[in-house]
Amino acid sequence: MRKKLLLSGLFMLFCLLTMAQQRTVTGTVISKDGAPLADASVIVVGQKTGVRTGADGTFSINVPSDAKQLQISYVGSETQKVDISSASNVTVTLQASSQSLTDVVIIGYGSVRKKDLTGAVTSIKAKDFNQGSIASPDQLLQGKVSGLEITNNSGQPGAATTIKIRGNNSIRAGNNPLYVIDGVPLDGRTAKPGLNFGSGSGLDFGTTPESNPLLYINPNDIAQVDVLKDASSTAIYGSRGANGIIVITTKRGTSGGTKIEFGTKFASNAGYMHKYKVLSTDQFRTALHTYSLDTLTNSLDHGGDVDALKAITQSSLSQEYSLALSGGNETGKFRVSFLGSQNFGFIKKTSLDKYLGNFAGEYNFLDKRLTINFDVIAGHTTENMGLVSNTAGAGGNLISYALNWNPTAAFTTSNSLYSKAVSSVPNPLAVINGYNDVANVNVFLGNISAALKLTKGLEYKFLYAINHGAGKRNTSIDGWIDGINGVSGIGDAAISDAYLTSETFTNTLTYNTTLTQNLSMDALAGYEYWKTNYGNSSLFASQFNTNLDQQSRIPILYTSLFQNAKTQTPLVTFVDPTTEIQSYFGRVNFNLSSKYYLTGTIRADGSSKFGANNKYGYFPSVGAKWNISNENFLKSVIIINNLGLRASWGITGNQEFPAGASQEQFNSGSYSSFGQSNVANPDLKWEKTTQVNIGLDYSLLKNRIYGSFDYYHKTTTDILFQSTAIQPAPASIFFINLPAHLINSGVEFSIGATIVSNSNLSWDASFNIAHNKNLLKDFAQANIATAQVSGQGVSGTLAQIIGNNEPVNVFYLKQFGGFDQKGQQIIADQPTFQGDPNPHLLYGFATTLRYNKLSLSVNASGASGFYIYNNTFNSVTNISNLQNGKNVDASIIGSPENINASVAVSSRYLEKGDYVKLRNATLTWAFGDLGKYVKNLNVFVGGSNLFVITKFTGFDPEVNVDKNQNGYPSRNIEYIPYPTPRIVTFGFNLSL
Amino acid sequence: MNLSKLIKLYPVLLITIVVGSGCTKLDQNLNSTLTKDQATNALGANGTQLLLQTAYNDVGNPYSDPGNILALEEVTGDETVVPTRAGDWDDNGKWRALKQQTFGPDGVDLIINQFNSLNKLNFDATNVLAFAPSKGQAAEARFLRALSLYQLLDLFGQYPVRNPGDNLLNAPNVYRGDSAVNFIINELTAIIPDLPATNGMDKANADAANMLLMRCYLNRGAFNNRAAPTFDDADMQKVITLGNAIISSKKYSYSANYFDNFSPNNSSSKEGIFAAPNTSGVATNNTGIHNMWWATVHYNSYKPLAPQSGWNGFSTVADFYNSFDIKGTPTQTPADTALDQRIGGRYYKGVTDVSGLRTGLLIGQQYYADGSKVKDRKGNLLIFGTNFSPDLKETGTNLEDVGIRVLKYMPDFSGNGKNYGGGTSGNWCMIFRYPDVVLMVAEAKMRAAAADNAGALTLVNGLRAARGAAPMTAMALVNPNNVADPNTLLAERGRELYWETVRRTDLIRFGVFMKPWALKPASDETHLVFPIPSTALAANPNLIQNKGYQ
Repeated sequence: MRKKLLLSGLFMLFCLLTMAQQRTVTGTVISKDGAPLADASVIVVGQKTGVRTGADGTFSINVPSDAKQLQISYVGSETQKVDISSASNVTVTLQASSQSLTDVVIIGYGSVRKKDLTGAVTSIKAKDFNQGSIASPDQLLQGKVSGLEITNNSGQPGAATTIKIRGNNSIRAGNNPLYVIDGVPLDGRTAKPGLNFGSGSGLDFGTTPESNPLLYINPNDIAQVDVLKDASSTAIYGSRGANGIIVITTKRGTSGGTKIEFGTKFASNAGYMHKYKVLSTDQFRTALHTYSLDTLTNSLDHGGDVDALKAITQSSLSQEYSLALSGGNETGKFRVSFLGSQNFGFIKKTSLDKYLGNFAGEYNFLDKRLTINFDVIAGHTTENMGLVSNTAGAGGNLISYALNWNPTAAFTTSNSLYSKAVSSVPNPLAVINGYNDVANVNVFLGNISAALKLTKGLEYKFLYAINHGAGKRNTSIDGWIDGINGVSGIGDAAISDAYLTSETFTNTLTYNTTLTQNLSMDALAGYEYWKTNYGNSSLFASQFNTNLDQQSRIPILYTSLFQNAKTQTPLVTFVDPTTEIQSYFGRVNFNLSSKYYLTGTIRADGSSKFGANNKYGYFPSVGAKWNISNENFLKSVIIINNLGLRASWGITGNQEFPAGASQEQFNSGSYSSFGQSNVANPDLKWEKTTQVNIGLDYSLLKNRIYGSFDYYHKTTTDILFQSTAIQPAPASIFFINLPAHLINSGVEFSIGATIVSNSNLSWDASFNIAHNKNLLKDFAQANIATAQVSGQGVSGTLAQIIGNNEPVNVFYLKQFGGFDQKGQQIIADQPTFQGDPNPHLLYGFATTLRYNKLSLSVNASGASGFYIYNNTFNSVTNISNLQNGKNVDASIIGSPENINASVAVSSRYLEKGDYVKLRNATLTWAFGDLGKYVKNLNVFVGGSNLFVITKFTGFDPEVNVDKNQNGYPSRNIEYIPYPTPRIVTFGFNLSL
Repeated sequence: MNLSKLIKLYPVLLITIVVGSGCTKLDQNLNSTLTKDQATNALGANGTQLLLQTAYNDVGNPYSDPGNILALEEVTGDETVVPTRAGDWDDNGKWRALKQQTFGPDGVDLIINQFNSLNKLNFDATNVLAFAPSKGQAAEARFLRALSLYQLLDLFGQYPVRNPGDNLLNAPNVYRGDSAVNFIINELTAIIPDLPATNGMDKANADAANMLLMRCYLNRGAFNNRAAPTFDDADMQKVITLGNAIISSKKYSYSANYFDNFSPNNSSSKEGIFAAPNTSGVATNNTGIHNMWWATVHYNSYKPLAPQSGWNGFSTVADFYNSFDIKGTPTQTPADTALDQRIGGRYYKGVTDVSGLRTGLLIGQQYYADGSKVKDRKGNLLIFGTNFSPDLKETGTNLEDVGIRVLKYMPDFSGNGKNYGGGTSGNWCMIFRYPDVVLMVAEAKMRAAAADNAGALTLVNGLRAARGAAPMTAMALVNPNNVADPNTLLAERGRELYWETVRRTDLIRFGVFMKPWALKPASDETHLVFPIPSTALAANPNLIQNKGYQ
């Protein structure tokens, strides 16, 4: 936007120019693939004269007769200079920019050229996104951004991810960054109703995984994603900036003819990325013999040979179709896109269907003084989920059934019915068949903005956005499924609803000016109001009359005849307190000779969440940059194209705590009861993170090597913390601002290189690595235990500690010391600190190798220096289950452990999590234009999660099953999670 | 020129900000909860009753689930054990730590859970007093608070008390020692005149308050000196007077069948003085009473749900079984009246005919309703025995069988067995029962300055007669050299009140808590009281960590 302002300014100047001798130069600007580029900027080098190209990419410019060069620039392309000393008609082909310094970086409420940026921002363009199977936009970035850790919480397509920018900033749940889509901040929650089949429902499955809040963004619509990391770039978001910001910018139409882009992609699951090793059928039989379990009255050998882990998976063909129409002219542009996809999960019967439509437009009025921008996204998703819960107790979940299933027991009986539970392990295929859990969510995101140029350099912009989602979830567990307590012979069902509505009003004024010949300034002032509402309701029922035995099943789900249930819990409704945030903010940028830059921002945030005594918080930041390469002494150094030193300081906030936490609340309990539910804390306020960042951007050898280096130090104070309530109290916890310090410090380094680049062959590679150290200091409270270990024999055990002078969530476990003579585990009496679940190193590698029309891109990433607790081995596949006819971990072969050894939580199950994962490899053949109409035809084949190198024995070292205790988050616990598949994709895309 | 531009910018900026400022005062709309003012206005007089109901709802679960107060009061004693059975029941070693009294200041998770849940009752009851209660409502609330304070004092040796309307961010006063006992006594004495004489056993009533008062007087000497309790004659006389008043009111009588007091129909029990109610088939406000049998019976005990019909955990030991002075085997017929009813092993209609499960202490081979023998999960016969591993880590072939099971509450098989589990069982949870009144009077008579042992024996034998047990000829309070000695009042209290959350208190009051007994060696003074959870200590500096846990 600012760029356009600058350009219109240039137009005006152009009118004032009165030069003696002039001549006219005409030309055409095209892209690498020959498409005309509309709206490209053409200026005379050394002067402020300029024009823009028309819809057909042509331009005509009057230049002084002695003009030597034109400079042509276009968003997303390398700026190019062309010699006109002896030409009056030129054709300029612009190369798409790589990590070019002319890139535009989207920051809060505006954009800035990368080389003018004082903050630490990593910008990823569409062409650099991860390829392959992408269910939600955050996966586009995995491994691409230094210091950005994205962990899939579950292998279920569409499941939530845990995203951390520069470490663990908080000791609460809700640590994800703020997402901003085309200027609209998201709530971060979803309208998919959560489900807890825990104690309240009489079942033992616990909570189910959350859904991804970005599901409704079509990954093909994203033009670029900017990850705002330091305070200079995040402080403009004030009390929501502390966890970093992910700014998503969607594609816009371009001037020129109407273009149709079409793409399709097919994918198939191709087995486990890393299969959990339980005993094979042969090993199982041998083990029964070894432990004298082959002589029991009730034989544990049922004579068959099955692989339950394989049997629960599917390789059905997923498909995705996307279509985008775009076009426009100088006064109006539009882009319409549709996405229809059916994405089959790795577990049978699980899937994610998405139907997304997006209509974006930009229209100019009043001689381009007024610009109206709008964007409407309508989405519908259907998630089919499996019985894979986070906190299942001794009853387990589908994954534990598959792990434990006796490999000698057939899944079906002779009359082709599902066989009953074997050794109290429910038949996993029966569970898949009889469990139906479907969430339908409709989302509408709409925003409209109007930008009015008031005078030269001054622009006013108004934005209104609404984001509304409504979800319904029907869950039905048939009573014919054998072996599940509270289900078998009874049947259970739940119907739940949720809604989420957020609104944003933003008013901003921007002003650009040159103060002196060398000093320019742009300034921003704004007011924003944001409001969000969330509510849900759920109804459980059990004791149905139908589908209680397999033979007489009817094809009607319990949720379709809910009233048939004998027991229905009352409808439980919950409406979250409305959250309102009212903000005033401003930013000013100074640029002195393109050598010295200074940015200052401030935001005042008032939030209804804060206590009565602390309604407003103030979040300042300053950033400075020295573009050393623009100094005369470096201009002569040819190998250095760009060298910029950045430094920033600032304060950001975090207000992710439950709305209403500062107030005394009385809530309705069941059965004619009302009681106080919360302790008031009128002093409650935001959590504050002070961050210092020093960074260096570099670009060498004609920009063929580029990258950056950053050091940061973050101190979080006034930590929002669920403190132990001072009993007697209405609840066991209440929120305070803890006077402790949570420190994250680290370094990030990224390097990219264009190793070879010519018309036949090109080779690009990039690598990033980040180190973070996390430490909680001055924590005067007693240690807080969290990370509940689940399962039979381990209930009530917590594996991690939040404690002083330790990283958050450090493992605190009893030391395992081998086995004694009886084969019992030797376990220390008292727990000790055992290791950090937070990775110390994160790294990513990407490369693209092109030979003529064939290109291969590979993307790998990894993490090291952290531990994972294998709760699955601990309580599901431990040795003692063998005698009960359950399959167990293959490591029991040759183990000195007594088969009757008691099960205990200890450091024995703590494993190193270090891994390197080949996320994706894609081979593309670029046919280019085909015939008269088909353009840019690309055909590709690729694989995702192709392999992982790790010593971790679970399904996936990238694991974060939510095992929070009273809201204190856990980290890196593996517990019978939805496994990660290898995925093969192929498809093509083209434009017309 | 640029400065003037900047100046021009101001009006627009001002307009923006002024327009914006009008938007909101940022008062949080709570939507589904109420602020205190709203609660006071909206709920009105009826609201106080709603708040009182919340306090009542707090009572049920801590007393109904064996994993709560019962675990602290019984597993630490001589009548209950939860052995680790290979892959099951390790649970971070907490059951062994409680049984062997080896837990340290970090305790086990149960300790903080009970501290919090009892204090929630304490809070919710106190809160009623801030909402203009009627005299009767105030008395009920103060009774419920007294109950929580008594239990906290018993477990932790101290308790915090808030005044209605206190700022919850401030640390409240903490009572300990004699002042703690006196506070409860004064509270109860003050409210008894306002409590209805008959209010149903699911509501606070004068008899329940008097019974709690008896417990205060009887235990005062133990609360003040747990290692070596002494008993003041005046306190004993109070116990006798209060108890006699209840006895002579003739409102209560012994049930013909001991287990009727714990059946799904026990709401009509004539022994119940205070209980937490449940309704068969109704999940709302169910206290989770099914855990009383679920925690003890074997995985295969109830055929339709096998192998998941129980958790196969809580058990008891031979010494306790033998304290019933076994002179024969229960004949296991409905008509059998030869032995002390309370040992059980007998047919119970609606239970044995449905499942094969029998009453009371389950020992030896177990049978289904059709007479077939129950087998364990490996297919071996299920024979409940007492051959525990001394370290409580069972590894032998009997690991599923070891332990006599205690079926005190009769499972609810109504609704075709649907109420057996899942939180819809209808048994009321007995918190105060009439026989305890009788036994407390007997004990006070023996502890009085002028001991009336004969009077005590008469009362006890009266109870024994009602239970079908032979009269005792002589009865000591306790045998310090043999805690399991059957001819003592302590043993009689065990036989009558086992698994009713009083055993640890009894063992301390009778001065034998540090003695060795089955599966527990002699122990020191530390575990006479539980540690204050460290997080609670950090939150309230008025709490003081108990001796031995510092």
